[in-house]
Amino acid sequence: MIINMPNTETNRIARKIEELHQERGEAGNDRVLTLIISTEKDELKEALEAANGASREHPCRVIAVINDDGSPDSTPNQAGQTTVTTSNDVPESPVNTAHSSNVTAMAAPNATCDVITIDPDGAATDLDAQVRFGADAGAGEVIILQPRGGLKRHADTLVMPLLVPDIPIVTWWPTNPPANPANDPLGAMSGRRITDAARSNNPAATFERLAANWEPQDIDLAWTRITIWRAMLASMLDQPPHLPVTSVKLTGGERSLPLQLLATWLGRQLAAPVSMEYVPDTDFITGVYLERGDGTLSLTREHSDEAVISQPGQKPQTVSMPLRTLEESLSEELRRIDPDEVYASVIRG
Amino acid sequence: MSEQTSWANPLRDPRDLRLPRIAGPCSLVIFGVTGDLSKKKLLPAIYDLANRGLLPPSFGLTGFGRRDWSNEAFADFVKECVETHCRTPFRESTWNNLAKGIRFVQGTFDDKAAFERLSQTVQELDRDRGTRGNHAFYMSVPPSAFPIVSKQLADSGLAKSSEDAWRRVIIEKPFGHDLESAKELDRVVSEVFDPNSVFRIDHYLGKETVQNMLALRFANSMFEPIWNANYVDHVQITMAEDIGIGGRAGYYDGIGAARDVIQNHLLQLMALTAMEEPVSFAASDLTAEKTKVLSAVRLPNDLSANTARGQYAAGWQGSEQVCGYLEETGIDKSSTTETYAAIRLDVDTRRWAGVPFYLRTGKRLGKRVTEIAVVFKRAPHLPFEQTAVRELGNNAIVIRVQPNEGVTIRFGAKVPGATAMEVRDVSMDFSYGRSFTENLPEAYERLILDVLLGEPPLFPTTKEVELSWQILDPIEEYWAGLGQPQPYRSGTWGPGEADEMLAREGRHWRMP
Repeated sequence: MIINMPNTETNRIARKIEELHQERGEAGNDRVLTLIISTEKDELKEALEAANGASREHPCRVIAVINDDGSPDSTPNQAGQTTVTTSNDVPESPVNTAHSSNVTAMAAPNATCDVITIDPDGAATDLDAQVRFGADAGAGEVIILQPRGGLKRHADTLVMPLLVPDIPIVTWWPTNPPANPANDPLGAMSGRRITDAARSNNPAATFERLAANWEPQDIDLAWTRITIWRAMLASMLDQPPHLPVTSVKLTGGERSLPLQLLATWLGRQLAAPVSMEYVPDTDFITGVYLERGDGTLSLTREHSDEAVISQPGQKPQTVSMPLRTLEESLSEELRRIDPDEVYASVIRG
Repeated sequence: MSEQTSWANPLRDPRDLRLPRIAGPCSLVIFGVTGDLSKKKLLPAIYDLANRGLLPPSFGLTGFGRRDWSNEAFADFVKECVETHCRTPFRESTWNNLAKGIRFVQGTFDDKAAFERLSQTVQELDRDRGTRGNHAFYMSVPPSAFPIVSKQLADSGLAKSSEDAWRRVIIEKPFGHDLESAKELDRVVSEVFDPNSVFRIDHYLGKETVQNMLALRFANSMFEPIWNANYVDHVQITMAEDIGIGGRAGYYDGIGAARDVIQNHLLQLMALTAMEEPVSFAASDLTAEKTKVLSAVRLPNDLSANTARGQYAAGWQGSEQVCGYLEETGIDKSSTTETYAAIRLDVDTRRWAGVPFYLRTGKRLGKRVTEIAVVFKRAPHLPFEQTAVRELGNNAIVIRVQPNEGVTIRFGAKVPGATAMEVRDVSMDFSYGRSFTENLPEAYERLILDVLLGEPPLFPTTKEVELSWQILDPIEEYWAGLGQPQPYRSGTWGPGEADEMLAREGRHWRMP
């Protein structure tokens, strides 16, 4: 069920949610966290799909705050959205009308779903909202907020009345994160801040900025994406003979952030020199080669969902190792919301 | 994994909590591979593990059975089971990798040559797949077959491994049918396998449930202070099934509800409820506490007043008409096997002195439910008119084990707006998430992975199994002399005898 609430107020949204919970005879408090998604309008659909999937493992209330108005020229500059032109601060009624139609366009998941629009009762406000329930909202409820004008700079107090009491808050930027997530209004109120530099406009620069401003509560999905690689490599070294690794070589796309992180991690843990070989036309890690006294151990992934393990004296073996989906990565991140000390040591270099 | 003392894998950092443990090279041999459990649970769980990337690439799976199957025919059978029952999406690439390690050995348990072939198959897996001599044997067979299979494994040299490799055996409940047979079973298996290599599995009691119980009791500060005889009136532990014996007549008749469920499942739940805080959650420390509390269990002096048994009669199970136990196919018309059993036990410790533990289980009861209800004493003084609290029962904490795992707290609240003050029972509910389970691993996935990783399981040890039989044996002996159990209509909550048993002490069974 989808409820459109153009020109609304947060307390009307909160009331509506309460009402829906009562109508459906469920307690709204059995959520394990509030997941705030700070996103651009174009990314909303994909982000919500991933969040809905993850909510089946972690029942949560999802609050998506749209931080642009969806028009092509308004993509926020990622290095800190401190400049807001004054013209945006003035709520004008024609703009509002335009936005009302935007609300309907807030990426309804499918055409057949039940959509209700609640007419605004009163003057125009700076907020359009949409509430999703039941089949349209994974295991929880989804609240989409489209603030306008000056309200955009106060996302923290905007979501405050809608948070589930007493449970952790996680904020996720599916694409362009603020330069300093900890200082962002939403980031500051969160116990966990998830960024995804690889999906930003300029991955390398974004990641560099994030690393410079890194705080223990920050995590980037580039790290989550190599969990399987790390686990496979660790289990390869579990097997005898337990000889030291003398050098490491990685191959993959030059722009792959996971590749850089994996290289740093392997170098640190194995205390061995690491070299890289960049492969054109790929954005992923394609192989890891560990040199040992008895030969080379390698884990390579040429195709998207199969990897090959080679070990000295054994036939190469294929193993299913599909690229991780956004939903899987997000689910993993929501599983542990305490600081990841290993990531910390990799980030601090 | 456990033997590596001097060498530490540089890629395994104890602070690295997100790295999943992937099983090392190994294979799993399943006896009774065409059985229901294997089709519906084991084979799909193996696929799901592979799909989640938790099995080694060199994994081998060998089926042992009577059918005249080739490796390919068996692989087709596995594929069919997997496609029907797997939890994660079916991926052709995962399947193809898994299928490469699938083998079938045709034979019966008394066929020496078949075990020779099994031994060769396993060696061939070592050679072709690189399973490195690590093999687990899953005995998905009736307990009566354990001795012969164990012996054959020993004779064919499969039970013993070389220095760096391991052999493990997985046994499902029931672990014997009385103390003596449990000891005999243990003797047979431990003659062949090292005690640390024997994994006793009670699939009713997953690791998840045990850990949830531990977290509830020992991670919180508000339950422990009242978790004793000063506040607790009594404890009820229930495992009710809505189904009958189904096709298990051969196994069930002569065994009965108490041996089938109370001995292992309910006594384990009781031990987890009643035990003291373990010094750590390591398997050995947990076992120490469970053993202590099981050894402090005292049977009532008068078994006739403190136990009850019943047998389901024809009736309507919910909306379905069902026959009685004695009319089930394969059951002797004069069978005295109980399908319902209730017993009272006491725990002789300071914490539980005078607090009865009521355990009940049965088939064809009102609904499928497993729960632990800790029922509290009434407040020593109620500053209300008598009429105001007439409807107020005892406070209770109910731990639901299944379905819908969670916790309910029952307490009194004022009825709003009533002209006269009135306090009535209300409940507050926590559920592990209405959709939590959708993406959570099946109990069998975790269980098989634990075995392959050699993680010490939280399952009952020999000592616990034996203590449990010590508790149950005198009751079974007493029942053996009683004749026919009291019939109860299918779909009800058991025989009148059980209700009277509690009524005599001024209590009543909870309606789950």
